[in-house]
Amino acid sequence: MKPRVAVFDFASCEGCELQLFNLEEKFLDLIKIVDVVSFREGMKEHSDLYDIAVIDGSIMRPMDVERLKIIRKKAKTVVALGACACIGGVNKLRNQWTSENVRREVYGDANLEGNPLFDIFPARAVDEVVKVDYYVPGCPIDRAEFTKVITAVIMGREPRLPSYPVCVECKLRENQCVFELGMFCLGPITRAGCNAICPTHRKGCAGCRGFLEDANMDAFKDVLRKYKIPMDEWLKCFDMFNCKIKREK
Amino acid sequence: MKRNLNIHINHITRVEGHGSIVLNVKAGRIEKLQWNILEAPRFFEAILRGKHFNQLQSITSRICGICSIGHSLASLKATEAALGVEISEQTVLLRRLALHGENMQSHILHVGYLAAPDLFGADSIIPLLKNEHKAVINIVRIHRLANSMSDLICGRTTHPLRFCVGGFTLLPTLKELQSLREELLNGIDTLRNAAESIQAEVHHLPDFSRETEYIALTAENLYALYEGSVASTDTGIHPLSEYLSLTNEYLLPHSTAKFTRHNRESYMVGALARFNINATQLGSLAKEIAARFDLTSPNYNPFMNTIAQLVEIADSMEDSIAIIDELLARGLEEEQPEVKIRPGRGIGALEVPRGILFHDYTIDEQGNCSQASCIIPTNQNNANIQKDMEALVPTIMNRPQKEIELTLEMLVRAYDPCISCSTHYLNVEFT
Amino acid sequence: MKSMTRGQWFSFTDSLIQDNTRDIIGVQSKGKRFHFALLENAHDLRLDHDVTLLPPKKFLLPTHEELIRFDISRPFEVSSSKPDRAQILIGVHPYDVIAIQQLDAVYQNPPVDDIYAARRKNTLIIASDILTIASRSFAGSLGNHVVTSGYDLLVTDLGDIVVIDEGTSAGRELLKSFGECREALTPEIERVTQLRAELPGRYRHKLKVDKWQWTELLLNNSTHPLWEKNARKCLSCGTCTLVCPTCFCYDVDDVMDINMKEGTRVRTWDSCLLRDFTLIGSGEIFRQAPVDRYRHRFYRKGVYLPQRFGFVACVGCGRCATQCLSDIADPLNVMNTLAASSVETRLDLPIPHKKPHHLQGPIFLPKSATIIRREKMTQTDTFYEIELDSRKPLGHQPGQFVEVSIFGMGEAPISVASAPEPGRNSFDLLVRSVGNVTTHLQSLTVGDKIGIRGPFGNGFDAASLRKRDLMFIAGGCGMAPMRSLVKYVLAHRSEFGEVSLLYGCKDPDSILFNADLNVWKTRTDIVQKFTVDDCPAGASWDGNIGVITDLIPLIDFDPGKTTAIIVGPPVMYRFVIKNLKDRGMPDDNIIVSLERRMKCGVGKCGHCQINGVYVCLEGPVFNYADIKDLPEAF
Repeated sequence: MKPRVAVFDFASCEGCELQLFNLEEKFLDLIKIVDVVSFREGMKEHSDLYDIAVIDGSIMRPMDVERLKIIRKKAKTVVALGACACIGGVNKLRNQWTSENVRREVYGDANLEGNPLFDIFPARAVDEVVKVDYYVPGCPIDRAEFTKVITAVIMGREPRLPSYPVCVECKLRENQCVFELGMFCLGPITRAGCNAICPTHRKGCAGCRGFLEDANMDAFKDVLRKYKIPMDEWLKCFDMFNCKIKREK
Repeated sequence: MKRNLNIHINHITRVEGHGSIVLNVKAGRIEKLQWNILEAPRFFEAILRGKHFNQLQSITSRICGICSIGHSLASLKATEAALGVEISEQTVLLRRLALHGENMQSHILHVGYLAAPDLFGADSIIPLLKNEHKAVINIVRIHRLANSMSDLICGRTTHPLRFCVGGFTLLPTLKELQSLREELLNGIDTLRNAAESIQAEVHHLPDFSRETEYIALTAENLYALYEGSVASTDTGIHPLSEYLSLTNEYLLPHSTAKFTRHNRESYMVGALARFNINATQLGSLAKEIAARFDLTSPNYNPFMNTIAQLVEIADSMEDSIAIIDELLARGLEEEQPEVKIRPGRGIGALEVPRGILFHDYTIDEQGNCSQASCIIPTNQNNANIQKDMEALVPTIMNRPQKEIELTLEMLVRAYDPCISCSTHYLNVEFT
Repeated sequence: MKSMTRGQWFSFTDSLIQDNTRDIIGVQSKGKRFHFALLENAHDLRLDHDVTLLPPKKFLLPTHEELIRFDISRPFEVSSSKPDRAQILIGVHPYDVIAIQQLDAVYQNPPVDDIYAARRKNTLIIASDILTIASRSFAGSLGNHVVTSGYDLLVTDLGDIVVIDEGTSAGRELLKSFGECREALTPEIERVTQLRAELPGRYRHKLKVDKWQWTELLLNNSTHPLWEKNARKCLSCGTCTLVCPTCFCYDVDDVMDINMKEGTRVRTWDSCLLRDFTLIGSGEIFRQAPVDRYRHRFYRKGVYLPQRFGFVACVGCGRCATQCLSDIADPLNVMNTLAASSVETRLDLPIPHKKPHHLQGPIFLPKSATIIRREKMTQTDTFYEIELDSRKPLGHQPGQFVEVSIFGMGEAPISVASAPEPGRNSFDLLVRSVGNVTTHLQSLTVGDKIGIRGPFGNGFDAASLRKRDLMFIAGGCGMAPMRSLVKYVLAHRSEFGEVSLLYGCKDPDSILFNADLNVWKTRTDIVQKFTVDDCPAGASWDGNIGVITDLIPLIDFDPGKTTAIIVGPPVMYRFVIKNLKDRGMPDDNIIVSLERRMKCGVGKCGHCQINGVYVCLEGPVFNYADIKDLPEAF
């Protein structure tokens, strides 16, 4: 029997789900190898019986947590799709402010106490709430990598993410290093798998696939100093997808 | 017949983002009818605070995965206006091409993948794909063509890479443009075939009409997408600087998105609004498609927005070919955009697939963003969706509940709401 | 030497481009740098380049290259990739010509990489003299600024005139078919000679030590503080190796099409600077510390490859120096620093001489084989009897390994667990579930097809064990290769002296090959002792509880007359060997079989390297004396 796949979205731009449609003709192949039983963005049909749950988006509210926990209970395998689900992504940028602060700034004096729609907490990645089996990182995801992960999961093969930095793929694409072009690039400390798409188009890597756990941060900071990148710019660039700092303001 | 109805469509499907419809009818009287936005708010404007001007495009692109090119361009236009950066004609041409790519991609996604299943009597495109339905195969082809266009100009389809303040980081080659031109030419017949299949089923669209105010950009010499002044069917042409008094955002507690109003209780933006204001400027292929569906300006049926999108796909294809011809004739030149930091405020407005989009930034002496606000098409349509529902429900109240539900869903879908966009954040005053 | 005008040179290049039977690859600008790329217009060709971002190697050993193509919807359908498109590389600088010669030596050394060889056979090289010297190049100090062989044509761009030297008959033919060239005039030849003669003086960077002294210098300085100091700045990004014209290691992985039917086995450039380069299925990483990986790269250039092939694997192109963000990759800096230091403790890293392999045909194409018996042995281990579908015997020696393929999953090196027996065509494998392939194997059953490559490696040399007392010391699934030797010895029992088997496992349930052990128990000519790390309460166990070295004192052996054969998990060797040596056993009497990540099995991919030793070629069975000084061995 074909594996049953359900796609769920939380706080995100839904661009990663769009990549499924962007498989174009290959989407036809995809629906031949799996039964897509739920995909709100693309279909009205829905079933609660699924093997693989694909989760797009970050978790922002208690009501999202409840929904996610139910999904985890029903699914045999949970795949986090995209930066928002895998590491929190851009949504975590707002964690620099407290939820109370943000809510006041956003909604002014309106009385929203007890309204679950507005009950927010600092953005979380999916694995900060439930166990995630596999990850398809990136903002947005790489279509080829998604295909690789989904075929591996179906075959019962462990889909391994690269444990080396973006530089590896960047060299194989024979790009001129964007540091030489005066840009800031997180490639040396960011997990590869995107085929170095940003530097290939002359943009520094923004770190959307998350930092390597054993990244040599000291050496990287030396590189930034060597290329005279202002400290202020470092922090902003580090933050974009990998914001861990909580600044009260 | 005095009937009771209790409809709650939670998480409406085949739209971008989370919205719901609540309809309570007691003894034939509507007690509650509400279009709600449930999406978690995402606070983009707060995020932009303090960020370097170079980062604003990359961040705002993430407001929406479907119209990331539109957000990126609005962001660049606002940034460039604030900093006083001049951009070249070549850049304008390439940006228009990028916008056409997204317009085609987003429209065909909506027409083909999200709205068409209602016409073909399917719950989604998936059973149609499995049967390799002829119309759907053509739709997939157009979708791929649109995406390959974005890939070429922007580096990828979602969250464009080659954009930067002042221009482009990397240009396509003339050879690549030439082969894109071939693909577009081949795409015209594919589009005609797709239109023919849709035309055969178009009678499934409800015959409903409600006149409202329509707002869109307008320009003198072309069907305005990338630039123009703001036009209202009620109040005429306004300069961009008046955009806040045109949009007037307000908040409702059942929705995490904002609503807007201008001259009436609501107004509409998007393909139908653009068509109603600028139809005469469409190219011949677009006119041909419009004629096929008897679509004439003005049209007050919001369900026809889907058809107006199909017409716009044709126009984007045709105009893209013209732009490529111009680029091939002038050649492409690597540019080194001059960007100097200068404090100021800038407004960027353009027509994205779902309607007019405004980004408004203030940039300080260090080149950091001190204030940002984005007004999103879907927010501008929210009130109009509500008003349409209020007008529509009494006319269909005696039909079976399933049909009422479907019709309401189809109405929301016709607007092609982009809810992720709409909940990006509301106006914030930075202190 | 021939010469032609600049205009004729353009026509010549253009005529090559117009001929659609070949791809013409030439140096072109890429942003502010250069690269080799498909040439579409003769005017895009640059001969004034300093150095290309990547070496021309990528057209002989592509960054991603299909090795085989398979269809898993059929019982066993696989074909080997056969590159047949001809190509001409134009603008190859002398140092890159030399690097290609090195690549040829490696890939065409037996066992020949047939895919590389096919591509190489179809490639012509039009080299060009260096006009612009790359900022970090030191090719002049290595003598690699000029070249006398390894090209089909060598062009020198003198501006108005292009002088061409014909290196091979194929080059001569190419020029002849164009027609428009004449014999070079003496003044033209003199200009070329002068250009070449002046080159060395134009290099800003000079090596202070002759390249033939690199080996000595490195062996004398294995603990120089430079290694630690530089490695602290290492980003482990692999750039230095990926841009290197002499590096050639690769990784192999299976990629499925989304239709879940067809797929390909693809090799991709890999780098020994990356952490997981030496990762094996059970999770060990043999070069865990960045300094070990950093130093390995220089030893490879200056010690291991010179020892094996007789060339220094650095051509002085300067690519690594330019592209390393931390600027720690430049061999010139490293060698010059070492040259200034005093001699430290001397290290010897010899490569044991072993029988070379002569495989014929497509080396990556697995043979079809069938599982004819399957037996679950423990929670994690399953025994398989395999028969090649050709019905021919595998032809292995005890201690050799095979590469087991499951299409879509990949390959895993697995030791053969049976001895070659007359009249028997099948062979045994014991598979522990540790990775994708081995885990998936557990789900296969009798009648299922798998792919087999091999046998590979050097096994146990039974002849050298004759007349000797033998002590087999096995840990965990090390019992599998050991079984092949034990079975052989027991089948030829009269040829050997005293025989004992010491076997240690995690717990009684993990003991492998119980049936064999029970049979052997009934024999009086083999002593068996067992130990387990841990025995859960209630389990029936009459052996020892403790580590494997507990068993050694239980055997009465003469260290001089006895050979100990050790196979087990990586952690076991050090303790067992120390114990044996404490008992007076000479190094020469200890034989080990080592596990590494043998990805290709044919001495190319580089993953199984222990210092300069390829486990897949020289091993997996080694005499301890041969490798005891290799720091990476134990």
